Amino acid sequence: MTLLFQPSPPDHGPADRMVDFDMFHIPEGVSDPAEIWHDLVSRGVPDIFYTPHNGGHWVFLRYEDIVDAYRDHTVFSTYQTPVPPIEPFPVVQPQGVDPPAHNVFRRLLAPMFTPTAVRGMMDELERRAAVLIDGFAANGSCDFITDFAERYPTGTFLYLFGLPEERLDEFLALANTFFRSTDPAARAQNIGEIYAELDQLFREKESNPGNDIATQIVSARDENGAQYAWEDILNCGFLLFVAGLDTVTNTMAYIWRYLATTPAAQKHFRDRLDDPDGFLRGIEELMRINAVSNLFRRVTHDCEYRGVQLRHNDRVVLPNTVANRDPRVFKAPQVIDLDREVNVHLTFGVGPHRCIGSVLAKREVMVSLQQWLRRIPEFSLADEQPAGSMFGGSVMGFTALRLQWEVAAKRAAS
Amino acid sequence: MRVIANHSLCQGHARCEDLCPEVFATDAIEGKVVIVQEDVPATLEDKVRLAVRNCPEGALRVARSGPAEDAA
Repeated sequence: MTLLFQPSPPDHGPADRMVDFDMFHIPEGVSDPAEIWHDLVSRGVPDIFYTPHNGGHWVFLRYEDIVDAYRDHTVFSTYQTPVPPIEPFPVVQPQGVDPPAHNVFRRLLAPMFTPTAVRGMMDELERRAAVLIDGFAANGSCDFITDFAERYPTGTFLYLFGLPEERLDEFLALANTFFRSTDPAARAQNIGEIYAELDQLFREKESNPGNDIATQIVSARDENGAQYAWEDILNCGFLLFVAGLDTVTNTMAYIWRYLATTPAAQKHFRDRLDDPDGFLRGIEELMRINAVSNLFRRVTHDCEYRGVQLRHNDRVVLPNTVANRDPRVFKAPQVIDLDREVNVHLTFGVGPHRCIGSVLAKREVMVSLQQWLRRIPEFSLADEQPAGSMFGGSVMGFTALRLQWEVAAKRAAS
Repeated sequence: MRVIANHSLCQGHARCEDLCPEVFATDAIEGKVVIVQEDVPATLEDKVRLAVRNCPEGALRVARSGPAEDAA
């Protein structure tokens, strides 16, 4: 297959910037997929290096450089960035479009995710978390991923898009293939299925509008009073489907895994159930330390960045987890300080493509933990965890996470 | 103390609103910062300084009380 945005072979990278690093490969003995990134820093590899794996790409390790790449779309584009390169890849709107064209759909979606909008969702977010947790609290154990962390954001998507609850398993299956399948044919078919679902959904909302985000997107009008191009409408739907599920699922997976192994942290949050400011400060720190996304950019033209020659179509990978522990920015970066006061983490990115759902995502995590702690006593990791249940890549995380807790002896049935 | 927002830098993270809702809000269209009270009461100065330091875009700054100036 000929790629339209073919990266150059790595002949332009100086030998001392070459590192043998495969972001998708988690070696045996590693218990956390983020470790392979932090290992790069402890090995002292260059702050900007090139790896020949996955089609060849650069990696930036410094907070400041990652911020530059997020901010300067004239050099670091979000258009057609997959690593390894896959084409054609859907142009997710507005994430996969550079400013100024990006602004059209950013403006369209922004009102749906402002703090004002999210405040209006809080009751439903709380209710949904409570229902899920009540479903297994009395069992004394759960698989946190399949019983909660996947279902919760997918259910939130159904709610925001005005879809019936009974379609949850269908959308879960679509999402799981999209995020976990490594078979190109299965992935291509899956993307087709997601678009077919979105097409049907938006057509339904056009003829039968509801009080939901899908309706708002399909009924939005441009400056001439016309509906936006159907393809862009679908691409907006695709973004909201792919961006808000896997990221939230795995952020939660990391956070609950940490809490399960750290009783003092559970107590910290339990003690702050009636102190939303203190609770949120702790959540921000968990967001800093559990940044699951490694973002991709594509270089728009041959240029030099910090003395390094970049070529047109080079891919650059930006690991937020590394930026968030940069000692040049964070005091005692390796310490998880749930009362950390200054915390400019990059978990949601910065600049024009800042995660549009960041406020919602944070509330999803916060509400889930509050509802969890109100229903479940101190919990821990189950002794047996399924083998091979972690993965690296653009989102890092876990496919299984067994948790356990003590259940009070059941009251006599009478 | 006064607090000044640069709207061309603000990307709507809403960290300021989380940290000091008495002084910072966000609009319902773009989710960008709205300064509710530009002249910060002495009791809120520490909270406002913290909000300024936590802005991931560096879009906020404090200035001494005095005549208004443009925030670029």
